[in-house]
Amino acid sequence: MSVLEYRRPEQVAEAIALVSADPGAAYLAGGTTQLDLLLKDGVVEYGTLVDIGRLPLRGTSVVDGVLRVGAVTTMEELAADAVVIERLPMVREALLSGASTQLRNMATIGGNLLQRTRCRYFRDRAVAACNKRAPGSGCAAVRGPARMHAILGAGENCIALHASDLCVALVALDAVVGIEGPDGQRSVPLTEFYVMPGERPDVENVLAHGEMITHVDVPLPAAGLRAQYVKVRDRASYEFALVSAAAALRIEEGAITEARLALGGVGTVPWRAWAAEDLLRGRQADEANFRAAAEVALRDPYTVPGTEFKVGLAQRLIVRTLKYVSGAQT
Amino acid sequence: MGGASVVGRTTVTVQVNGQERRLELDSRVTLLDMLREHLELTGTKKGCDQGACGACTVLLDGRRVVSCLTLAAQCDGREVTTIEGLAPGGELHPLQEAFIRHDGFQCGFCTAGQIMSAVALLAEERAGSDAEIREFMSGNLCRCGAYPNIVAAIREIAQQGGGMP
Amino acid sequence: MTAPSPNKIVGEPVDRIDGQLKVTGGAHYPSDVGYPDMAHAVLVQSTIASGTIRAIDTADALAAPGVFAVITHENVPELVHEVMTPFGPSPRFPLKDNRIVHHGQHVAVVVAETLEEARAASRLVRVEYDETAAILDIDDPRAQVTTNPYEMDVERGDVEKALASADIVYDERFHTAPVTNNPLGPFAAVARWDDGRLLIHSSTQWPVMERHVLAGIFSLDESAVQVLVPYLGGGFGAGLRTWPHTVLTALAARILDRPVKLVVPRPQMFTSVGHRPETVQHLRIGATSDGRLVAIDHEGTSTTGAEESNLEPITVVTREAYDCPNLATHDRLVALNIPNPGAMRAPGHAEGSFALESAMDELSHRLGIDPLELRLRNFAEVNPQTRLPWSSNALRECYRVGAERFGWHHRNAEPGSLRDGEWLIGHGMAAVSYSWWATPCRATLSLGRDGGARLRAAATDIGTGTYTIAAQIVAELLGLEVDQVHVEIGDSALPLAPPSGGSGLAVAFGGAIEDAAAHLVRAFLDLVRDDDRSPLRGRDPDEVIATNGRLQLSDDPGVGESYTAILERHGKDELSAEGETDPTPKAEGMTMSPAGAFAAQFAEVRVHEELGLLKVTRLVAAVDAGRVLNEKTARSQVAGGMVMAIGMTQFEETAFDPATGRITNATFGDYLIPVSADIPDLDVVFVGEPDRYNPMGIKGIGEVGITCAPAAIANAVYHATGKRIRSLPITIEELL
Repeated sequence: MSVLEYRRPEQVAEAIALVSADPGAAYLAGGTTQLDLLLKDGVVEYGTLVDIGRLPLRGTSVVDGVLRVGAVTTMEELAADAVVIERLPMVREALLSGASTQLRNMATIGGNLLQRTRCRYFRDRAVAACNKRAPGSGCAAVRGPARMHAILGAGENCIALHASDLCVALVALDAVVGIEGPDGQRSVPLTEFYVMPGERPDVENVLAHGEMITHVDVPLPAAGLRAQYVKVRDRASYEFALVSAAAALRIEEGAITEARLALGGVGTVPWRAWAAEDLLRGRQADEANFRAAAEVALRDPYTVPGTEFKVGLAQRLIVRTLKYVSGAQT
Repeated sequence: MGGASVVGRTTVTVQVNGQERRLELDSRVTLLDMLREHLELTGTKKGCDQGACGACTVLLDGRRVVSCLTLAAQCDGREVTTIEGLAPGGELHPLQEAFIRHDGFQCGFCTAGQIMSAVALLAEERAGSDAEIREFMSGNLCRCGAYPNIVAAIREIAQQGGGMP
Repeated sequence: MTAPSPNKIVGEPVDRIDGQLKVTGGAHYPSDVGYPDMAHAVLVQSTIASGTIRAIDTADALAAPGVFAVITHENVPELVHEVMTPFGPSPRFPLKDNRIVHHGQHVAVVVAETLEEARAASRLVRVEYDETAAILDIDDPRAQVTTNPYEMDVERGDVEKALASADIVYDERFHTAPVTNNPLGPFAAVARWDDGRLLIHSSTQWPVMERHVLAGIFSLDESAVQVLVPYLGGGFGAGLRTWPHTVLTALAARILDRPVKLVVPRPQMFTSVGHRPETVQHLRIGATSDGRLVAIDHEGTSTTGAEESNLEPITVVTREAYDCPNLATHDRLVALNIPNPGAMRAPGHAEGSFALESAMDELSHRLGIDPLELRLRNFAEVNPQTRLPWSSNALRECYRVGAERFGWHHRNAEPGSLRDGEWLIGHGMAAVSYSWWATPCRATLSLGRDGGARLRAAATDIGTGTYTIAAQIVAELLGLEVDQVHVEIGDSALPLAPPSGGSGLAVAFGGAIEDAAAHLVRAFLDLVRDDDRSPLRGRDPDEVIATNGRLQLSDDPGVGESYTAILERHGKDELSAEGETDPTPKAEGMTMSPAGAFAAQFAEVRVHEELGLLKVTRLVAAVDAGRVLNEKTARSQVAGGMVMAIGMTQFEETAFDPATGRITNATFGDYLIPVSADIPDLDVVFVGEPDRYNPMGIKGIGEVGITCAPAAIANAVYHATGKRIRSLPITIEELL
C-alpha cells in the first residue's frame, strides 16, 4: 500500500457507489479492525477507505417489537440504550464484556459483526500458510500453540475464531442483518449471515463487494425469558473469550418452553447451539437435561492440542449458565 | 464530501485542546501520529499502536478513544483533548494531583492515557466502587503495576464529586 | 559528616519530584524526541528461525515514496561486532553476515522521510532464504548445552549421602514459561551525528554501558558518544544491554547524515530486546521427619539464543535460602534458535524461587508441619554458604508481621477446606532473599547562590523513583527542602553510575551522594577556615550539622551560617564536590555477609470450582529492605513487582510456534499482562533496620517484590483445590 485514499461521502448511496466501483476499496467505520489489519499488521490491502462513520446510520428505534440498531451506532451507545438496558440485558452484558471502553466508543455494531479473527497466524505477514489470507496456502495454526482458536465449525483448513461477544448474544436472539448494496436492500438472519470456512476460509459472510450493513434488527423477547451472557477468560477484563455462552430459557410449570443457546470462543462463526435448544425444549429445567444439552452442543468438535480443554470448559459453562437462567443457581 | 484533493493526502481541520489546527497529511497518518509527529504533542504515548494498551487514550468529542486506531482524517471537524489540554493554565486537574499524591505511576509512560481515561470514567459515572473503577479502567495497561494506586487516586476524586471543573 | 542529621527527609513518603511532568505529558521519553530533518526507520525481520539469506531484494522498497535507504547485510559498513560488558558480550549483530539464527532477526532497516512511508516500504523488502532445521525445544538433544555457565554452581557437604539417609526425600520437576518484559514504553532510539560525534536518545537502563558499547562498535572514543535517557517507559531489565536496533539507528543516521528515529513496534519488542527464558528445574530435598533440611539439590536449565549468552542464575537463590548443610546447585544453559533472552526483573531468581518455595510448601504438607513453621525451623542464622553473619536479616520479622497482617494462623490448613459458594479459597505463603548488585558510582553535587543544590550522575529513573530518593538524600544531608534539590540524571556525560538494575542503584548512588555531600560540607568549611567573619571558622565537619539551609555547630545551634551567606561573602556562584563509592563486596577479608532484601509474601486466591477461574484476592508482602528511602515509592516498587508476579503466575507466556520458532502472541491483545481488574489492593509493609554493610543502610527493593509471589500464589492454589501445579503460568486448563 504505497498510498491510501480516504473518502468520506455523506450519503449511503454515494458510499456504496464508491466501493462498488473499486475492487481496492473498503468501508471504514470505527476503524478498530480495518486500520489494525491495514496499517499495523499489514495483512490486508486497500487503495481507498470509504469512511461511513458519519452516515445517517446511527441510533436505535423500536418498531413492532423489534429494536432496529443503526450500523454505525457504537458499542457504548448501544450498551447505554434504554431499550437495551430494560429489554435486552444479555446484549448489554455481551457488549460491556467486550474490548475496553475506548474501543467500544469507536467500534460500531456493523463493524462488530464484521470483525476479523484474532488468529495470529492470519494477522502475521510472516506466516505463509493461511487459507484465510492466501486461499490454498494451508493453515499453520492447526500445528501451532493454538488456544484462542475455534473448535466448532473448524477443520484442518482453518481454526480461526470469530471472537465477538455481541454476536453471540445476537445470534441467540435471532437478530437480522439489514444490508444495502448496488442492487438494493436485503435482510439476512444473523445465523445465516456467516459462512463456515469449509474449503474457502477467506469467504466469511454473505456480503458481496460493495454491500454494507445498514442496520441490525433485534426482536425484543416477551417478558419471562431469563437470559444471561457469561464470558470465561484468563484476565478478569479486557480479553477475548476462551469460552462464552449466551443462554435464555422460558420455563412454564417446570418445563422449558423456549430455549436459546449460543456460544462464543469456540466457533469459526458466532455459534448457535440448535441441537441443544431442540433437546431442551419441552423438557424439565434440571441439571441432567442441562448436561445433556451441553453434551449435544459440543458434539464433534475439531480440536488441536491447545484447544482440547475448551470442550469440557464450554460444557461446564453451558450447564452453569443454564442453571443460572433457570433460577437453580444464583 | 470530506476527502483528498492530492492523491494519498487528506486535509484535516481539527480542534486540538481548544485550538483549531489545519493540516495536510498523508491519509495513513493516525490521530496519534498526527499529535506526536505533526503537532509536537508528545504527551500522548504510543505503547502498542494496535489498540490494546490504552496509552494513547485521548478524548474525541468528549469520549475516550484510542488514537492509534483512529485516522487523523476521521477527526476532521471534531474536537480532540489530550493530556496537554487538561491543565491549560498550568493548574493541575484534580485527577492529575491525585495521581501524584497516590503515586499512580512509576515510569509514567501509561500515565497520560490513564488520566485521560479516568477523566472520561468520571464523566461516564463509572467510578461508583473500586470494582467498577477497576473494570472500566482495564483498557489502560500499566506494566509498572501502579493499579492499586491509580484506583485510589480515582476513588478519592470520585468521592469528592468527580473533579469536574 | 559524622554528626547525625537532624533533618528527617529520607524515608518520608515524599511525592515524586518528577510527578508533575509525568501527569502533564511533559516528561520526554526517547520515543518523544524529534528533530526537524529527522528520518524514520523501520526494521524488517526474518521469517525463518535458522538458515541463510539467499537473496534480499530491496529494489521495490528503495523505489517507494520517501525512502532514503535500505540497509542489509549486503551493504552494511564494517563495524566492530563484539564489545564486552559486565553482562557479557554485546548481542550478536544481526547484519554481520547472511545467517539467520532466530525468527524475528533483523534483516534490514528501511529509512524514509515519514513513518508511514518507512512502514509501507518495509513490506516491499523481499527476502529468500535457505532454511535449515531450527533447534527450538529445550529438550532437543541437538541443542548445545553449557553446564555451570556462570561459574556460580556450588556444592557443600555431601548431598547424595544426606539424601540417602533422610527421613523423607522430595523429588519433583518444575517448568516456567518464557515471558517478555514488555515495558509499556516501546524501546526507541533517535540518533544524530555532528562532526563525528554520536548523540543518541536511547531506551537504556545504563547510559554509560550504552556509551561504552556504541563507542566500541563505531570505533569511537567514549567521549565522542553521548547517551540521553532522562525518562524511560519502564525496562524491567530489557534496557541493560545495547540491542541491535540501537546500533542500526546510529548506523542509519551516520549513513544518511541526518537524525534517524526508530521506535520498536510492539510485536518486534518480543524479539528485539530480550525476554525471561523458559526454565526446567529439578529439585531434590532431603529432610528429617521433624522438618530439618538435610540436603538440597537444585538443577536449573534455561534457554538462550544461538551464538548468544545470557545470565540467568536460577539456582543461586537456593544456596543461601536455608540452613542446610548439604547442598548442590547446578545451572545449565541450552542454546536454541530463539531471540536472545536478557534480564527480566529478578532474572533466574523469580523462576528459581518459584520452584524452591513451592517445594518447601509441598514438603511441609508431606511432613504435616505448617509451611511457615517449616521455614522457621530452617532459618539461616548466618549465611549458610559463607557462614558469615548477615549484615542484616529481619526475615523472621517478615514472617511474623506478614502472617499477622494476613491472618495466617487463623486459617484451616486442610486443602480444599475453605469455600464461598462456587469459589474455593486458599492461602499460601513463600519467602525469599534477593541480593543487590551494583558497580562503582560517582556523583557531583553543587550548591549555588540561590541556596539550591544540583546533583548530577549518569544514573537513570526507569520509574523506580531515583529522582526523588536522590533529592531526599541530598536534602537531608545538606539540610535543604526537597524542592531545593535539582537532580540531573539520564545522561552518559554525567559522572558514571551503575544501571537501574540488580536492585543496586540506590545502594551505589546513595553512597556516592553521601560521599559528595560530605565533601561539599568540607568544601564549605574549608572556604571559611580562615574567615574571620564566619562563625564556623576553623571548624571540622564532625562538629557541624546541616539544617535549614545552613551549617551550624551540633552542640550550639545558634552558631552557624547559611550556605548562601558563605558563597556571597566569598564571591562564589557555587561550590561543587565529587563523591564516589564502590559498593562491590570484596572477595577477601569480609567479616559479614552483605545481605539483600528479605521478604515473605502471603496470598489468598479464589478458584472457581466449575470453571477453573483463578483470582488473587489478597497479597501481603512483608519486606526487610534495610533503610527505606521513600516509603511511598518503595511501596509502589514492591507492589509493582507483585503485579508482575501475578502476570507471571496467571497469564504470561511467550508462545513459540514449535515448527517455525515464530512468537505467536506478540501483541498486547494476545500476550496478557495483568489489567486493573486482576489486581486486588496489595498490602506492603516494611520491617527491619538499616543494613550494616553499606553506609546508607540500603538493600535495594526493585526485585524482591516479584520473587516469592508466584510460589505464594501457587501454594494458595494448592490449599484451595488440592492441586499442586509446578508449572507457570497456572491457567484455566490446569484448574479444570
